[in-house]
Amino acid sequence: MTAIPLWVRRPAGERVGWLRTVDHKEIGVLYIGMGVAFFAFGGLEALLIRAQLATPEARLLDPETFNQAFTVHGVTMILLAIVPLLVGFANYLVPLMIGARDVAFPRLNALSFWLSLIGGVVLYFSFLAGGAPDTGWFSYAPLSERAFAPGTGVDYYILGLAVNGAGTIIGAINIAVTILLMRCPGMAISRVPLFVWMTLITSVLILGAYPALTAALVMLFVDRQLGGHFFDPAGGGQAVLWQHLFWFFGHPEVYIMVLPAMGMISEVIPVFSRKPIFGYAFVAGSSVAIAFLSFSVWAHHMFAVGLGDTENAIFSATSMLIAIPTGVKIFNWIATMVGGRLRLTTAMLFAVGFIAMFVIGGLSGVSLAVVPIDLAVTDSYYVVAHLHYVLFGGTMLGIFAGAYYWFPKMSGRLLSEVLGRWHFWTTFVGFNLTFLPQHWLGAVGMPRRVFTYAASTGWGPLNLISTIGAAILAIAMVIFFVNVLRSLRSGEVAGDDPWDAFTLEWSTTSPPPPENFATIPAVTGRRPLWDRKHPESRDGR
Amino acid sequence: MQSYPATVRPPADAIGTLSIIVGVIALLIFIGVEGALVFAIWRYRASRHLGGEAATFERNRRLEIAWTAAPALILAVIFILTLGTMAEINGAGVPAAMRITATGHQWWWEFSYGGVKTANELHIPVGTPIDLEVSSADVIHSFWVPDLGPKKDMLPGVTNRLRLLAPRAGSYEGQCAEFCGIEHAWMRIRVVAQSQTEFDAWLRTQAEPRTTSDTKAEQILLANICVSCHTIRGTTAAGTAGPDLTHVGGRATLGAGVIPNDVASMRAWLADPQRYKPGALMPSVPLSTTDLDALANYLVSLK
Repeated sequence: MTAIPLWVRRPAGERVGWLRTVDHKEIGVLYIGMGVAFFAFGGLEALLIRAQLATPEARLLDPETFNQAFTVHGVTMILLAIVPLLVGFANYLVPLMIGARDVAFPRLNALSFWLSLIGGVVLYFSFLAGGAPDTGWFSYAPLSERAFAPGTGVDYYILGLAVNGAGTIIGAINIAVTILLMRCPGMAISRVPLFVWMTLITSVLILGAYPALTAALVMLFVDRQLGGHFFDPAGGGQAVLWQHLFWFFGHPEVYIMVLPAMGMISEVIPVFSRKPIFGYAFVAGSSVAIAFLSFSVWAHHMFAVGLGDTENAIFSATSMLIAIPTGVKIFNWIATMVGGRLRLTTAMLFAVGFIAMFVIGGLSGVSLAVVPIDLAVTDSYYVVAHLHYVLFGGTMLGIFAGAYYWFPKMSGRLLSEVLGRWHFWTTFVGFNLTFLPQHWLGAVGMPRRVFTYAASTGWGPLNLISTIGAAILAIAMVIFFVNVLRSLRSGEVAGDDPWDAFTLEWSTTSPPPPENFATIPAVTGRRPLWDRKHPESRDGR
Repeated sequence: MQSYPATVRPPADAIGTLSIIVGVIALLIFIGVEGALVFAIWRYRASRHLGGEAATFERNRRLEIAWTAAPALILAVIFILTLGTMAEINGAGVPAAMRITATGHQWWWEFSYGGVKTANELHIPVGTPIDLEVSSADVIHSFWVPDLGPKKDMLPGVTNRLRLLAPRAGSYEGQCAEFCGIEHAWMRIRVVAQSQTEFDAWLRTQAEPRTTSDTKAEQILLANICVSCHTIRGTTAAGTAGPDLTHVGGRATLGAGVIPNDVASMRAWLADPQRYKPGALMPSVPLSTTDLDALANYLVSLK
């Protein structure tokens, strides 16, 4: 057995070094490891949910267990899987891509990771401490108040999310400062790779959005533990206040989860099309537009609350507006492929899969901005389908594209393309079987978050198809893990630049040495490595 | 009672039309974009051995402005249609012929017709514009009957209004759409739309005290904790935490949809409500077999 570069960078006796590392690449790997572990937990919870809903009036799970499962599934996938995975890639790649030796504040970086992880551990500890939270990932008051949720589950939710959020906020400051101040000579902000652009915008979004969540959590804590009445109408509070605060965080959070994945495929598609990205300025600029707009759309989660037609119309308009910069990116990616020489590697397949699935999530998103349609289908399985087309069909496929693309850099070894293709196609089939039927289920009346449904509703067959899809999706994930483990053990050695890529991370060894570069590079264009390899046709002239 | 003007459609129809328009637009965009994507992959895949180098163009300002402006125009059209339908589903200025109050409870519905209370089944006259004034006694619920159109959240301390118009006689099924706790799944609604005459007769009956009396059964009810949550008008049972049972025998289901309403089901429900609706706020009341029989028969007879 040959050495595994990812893990054997230290002698066996120094493995504890992972606990005290301040190296951005190791912290990136820790973040990704955390994300993968929680992705597995969240996936198991999803399988429990789908197993219970496979047939009408099933009694596999009791309602309490079901409610805990869907609550923890949501919190896990959003805050403990997707965000850490994206932050992990950003941690690993941003300094490499901008030609820096590390992030601006390496110790703070370690603090962010450990806070994020401890937040997740606190949340999961609730299972051992008398019951997990069972009020849904957005945990609406007053259901989350002590009168209706007397157990400790919601308290663990408050504590876990607040600690996890503190880690995420600190990490965002670190990444933003790194991108703004630590770029190598010649790396103007108009030349940074688009993944770095998206990460910068994501950091700004985190800094705007997460404090609103923290504030709401503190208020809920005051209500529950100190006798406050922020969200208690009987004591003069307002139930709807929680929703405003939560969604002021919650909608930017969607873009926090989507923009970095868009950044990933904006790296993958040009390299495998053998062309520069089409419309760099539009892709970057449209993300700034998304960032601004994302703070003005939150009440589209609340059209049925009764805010009034004027408010609903305004938030409908802003929500439709945000579709424009989002749509522009799709056209840019396709235009990047036009005229190229497409190498359909697994990474490229997942990137194309992102576009194909995200279009569906985007179109259903526009339909949800149309107030009357939203009033018909909000809080139904239509919304469940929509959000999974965005977050699985979009973000997760983007993360898989990034995983196949950058795994060789991180580990020094290529993933198997054969297993990769199996992984892609089982994911594609399983995903669509799971979530496509849910649009119909929602439209005909199946609310989300029900632990069962009456046989007379006729929702059984589509739910069964959805559950079969989830099982196929689970097999797809097993194929991926097998691929990763096989490759770590005996994968083909990648070399520095297996994809003939464009950006600086591929100019150093795989995996990169401590401090990344022997000498800090100087760049003259958006594709520094391409320029080095093809001095006759340099970019950025 | 005034009849609904033919120019104003039931909310469900208005939403249906808008959904078809938006759905067709979305389908065309879907076909266009996915088609372009598939074409690009097929046309420019390296395995076709196209020869030569990849193109090097990386911008086209005119094209980019065009594909920013085109979606903006489409969305502007959708937004204008949205505003029109929003006004329409709220009644388009046509006053309601009737107001009914709906209150969400964990996990059942209370409907009040000017003080005449009933539960879980909402009777309305067909073809008549009705304002349902919705609120909640505890957590947030949401009133949703898909075939009647939009849903409306029910918040404690707030009264929201939902315009209902049933286009045809018959029963419409729905359920709570906002997660409201352990038995959210079994908070079903049945809307019964009937002719004005039938509705008037139904409402007259509901306004009456109990239709039958049974001294033994009523004694059992009054001697147990049933009385602290339930009302049967005509007896001294006047609890308000649970559904009004004055005419419970006339309803189609028990436990807001969890089991049908007949003597056998009623008896099983009384014996152990937690078996059918675990977590529901109704406790199991220890009753003898004969008491259970008497009580079940009595309650089902309260038409």
